[in-house]
Amino acid sequence: MAGIIKIKNVAQEFVSGEETLHVLHDVSFDLKEKSFNIIFGQSGSGKSTLLNILSGLQKPTRGDAFFENQPLYELSNDQLARYRADKIGIVYQTNYWVKSLTVLENVSLPLFFLGASRSHAEAEARKALDRVGMGKYADRQPFLLSGGEQQRVAIARALINNPVVLIADEPTGNLDTKNGDMITALLQNYISEQGGTVIMVTHNMEYLPLADHLLHIQDGGVEDLKSSNYMEMSKQLMDDMKKRIDALAFATGHRKGSE
Amino acid sequence: MNIPLVGSSNKAISFKLLAYIAKRNLLSKRLRTSLTLAGVIIGIGAIFFLLSFGLGLQKIVTDEIVGNQSIKSIDVSSPNSGILKLDVDALNRFSQLPHVQQTGGSFLIPGVVKVNGAEIDAVAYGVDIPFQSISNLSAFSGRLLVGEDNRSVVVNRSLLDAVGMKDAEDAVGKEINLSIPIKIGGVTKNIIDNFNIIGVISSGSGSEVFVPSHILVSQGVSNYSNVKIVVDENDDVSTVRSQIEALGFETLSPIDTIDQINQIFKYFNIILVGFGAIGMIVAVLGMFNTLTISLLERTKEIGLMVALGARSRDMKRLFVLEALLLSVTGAGIGILGAVFGGIIINIVMNSYARGRGVTESFDLFATPWWLILGMIGFMVIIGLVVVYFPARRAERISPIEALRQE
Repeated sequence: MAGIIKIKNVAQEFVSGEETLHVLHDVSFDLKEKSFNIIFGQSGSGKSTLLNILSGLQKPTRGDAFFENQPLYELSNDQLARYRADKIGIVYQTNYWVKSLTVLENVSLPLFFLGASRSHAEAEARKALDRVGMGKYADRQPFLLSGGEQQRVAIARALINNPVVLIADEPTGNLDTKNGDMITALLQNYISEQGGTVIMVTHNMEYLPLADHLLHIQDGGVEDLKSSNYMEMSKQLMDDMKKRIDALAFATGHRKGSE
Repeated sequence: MNIPLVGSSNKAISFKLLAYIAKRNLLSKRLRTSLTLAGVIIGIGAIFFLLSFGLGLQKIVTDEIVGNQSIKSIDVSSPNSGILKLDVDALNRFSQLPHVQQTGGSFLIPGVVKVNGAEIDAVAYGVDIPFQSISNLSAFSGRLLVGEDNRSVVVNRSLLDAVGMKDAEDAVGKEINLSIPIKIGGVTKNIIDNFNIIGVISSGSGSEVFVPSHILVSQGVSNYSNVKIVVDENDDVSTVRSQIEALGFETLSPIDTIDQINQIFKYFNIILVGFGAIGMIVAVLGMFNTLTISLLERTKEIGLMVALGARSRDMKRLFVLEALLLSVTGAGIGILGAVFGGIIINIVMNSYARGRGVTESFDLFATPWWLILGMIGFMVIIGLVVVYFPARRAERISPIEALRQE
């Protein structure tokens, strides 16, 4: 499989008053096409910042992101907008909608932004909704649907432009197991049927076995792991977590031995 | 740099689709949009209605005062006819000036008319043929004087009324006796002769009789009381006037009167627009309020659209379109309402005037095209000014910040 996305020596800092927050330091990794990539890590570890960099929304302080060997942040704002509309699809944990538009029109938006006619975009949107089993909700208001239904519509919106890469920021985070599995299955179908690449951020360890490629993000650094050793890595993660909890309990005087 | 990932196409969202989304946004808040539109309709409608009234009144006054004089005409008189003679030679000099199209002269002498056994004082005008056409005289019965007329006269309606002749048709062909005293070289003599009435005109409030000028010229009358000149174009009036005034003559033009009327109505219209502007200010504030609230409510939506591939400037265009939809729709309905209101009042006032014996119809409200287009253009500018800050903010929204907001 050929490489499609490359992150090279990326650092991201945010300045707040006199304080500088180092969110990512010197992160580098490659992602291959037609692969299921999972980025996992604690809250505040820099996962969303990394996804924003990959989406062309956040220019890194240092380094660059490459799409098909092209440095993203050498593109103009208009070219980045076109990259987002044409090459990638995005699914968020929380669903966002243009509330004045119907489900069908919301799903059509990426094609609208690529200059498609309304009739063509809406015809494609119907097909995309049918693929995720939401065709009958086309004329509804999206924010009136259930969480699982909204997430399926969001997947349809992300896939309408046949993107090369689908970026999913905790797409199952607000869903029950059944709906979470359904969404994950849709992402897998996208790889197997459309030959796409998925980059998913998740907290849910249950989905780690699905990954072709695992990236563990912690304290601004990214550890590139092979999927084959995810069990060992999960165990290691659990051990790390226990140690941190114990350390926190000890520090706050709640450890049994200290009473 | 070669950038294959953005493809060869630079197509972005079409104007039509942006306008569609703008319309849907406005329609999704029906009450707010209706109230904002109502403000614009009342504001623009009030200004249009008042301006339309001012212009209608101005036209009535101008028509009444200037009448049917051409604004390309110039009236020439001599400030001292004893020294500076306004005679045939002067007329010929005027004819030779550049841009002078036509010249005509008239003599004015008080005379006495006897007809039907009645005797009345009347003003006798000795007129040449060009003078009749420049003055836009028109006979509503019979005809005007022509070159070969000798013992023919044209009279006005007031003269017929004064001698008790009610029917203008009957008057044509009747004979009148005209006595005109003329003074040549300090000696006064009377031209007394019988003339046939060949036509009746309506203008003039006193009794007037028009005789061919050559009758008076043949008796030695040489100084015209009034000379009229027509120039090629409106713009030539001031040049030709300057040249004539340089010769020592005085000039008058209907443009002087129109300028004075326009000057008065300029202030009148400003006062009227001032009243309407109060409503307009309220409407503008309403529009600004609506667009600003809409921006605050839709920050997340704008962030989402940019994240999905919209260009930031498309978000600015979206807000501009929403503002223009509000202002132009409001202007259209407001102007239609004002025009309709004006038509109703015109009908009612004409009906009232007819009941009081007024025969000529009039328009109290004028709705020229330039006013309609001007008001729509004005509202386009207002819409663009009002949306400037909200649109600029929409363009600068960061999708990351917007989507992070709770």
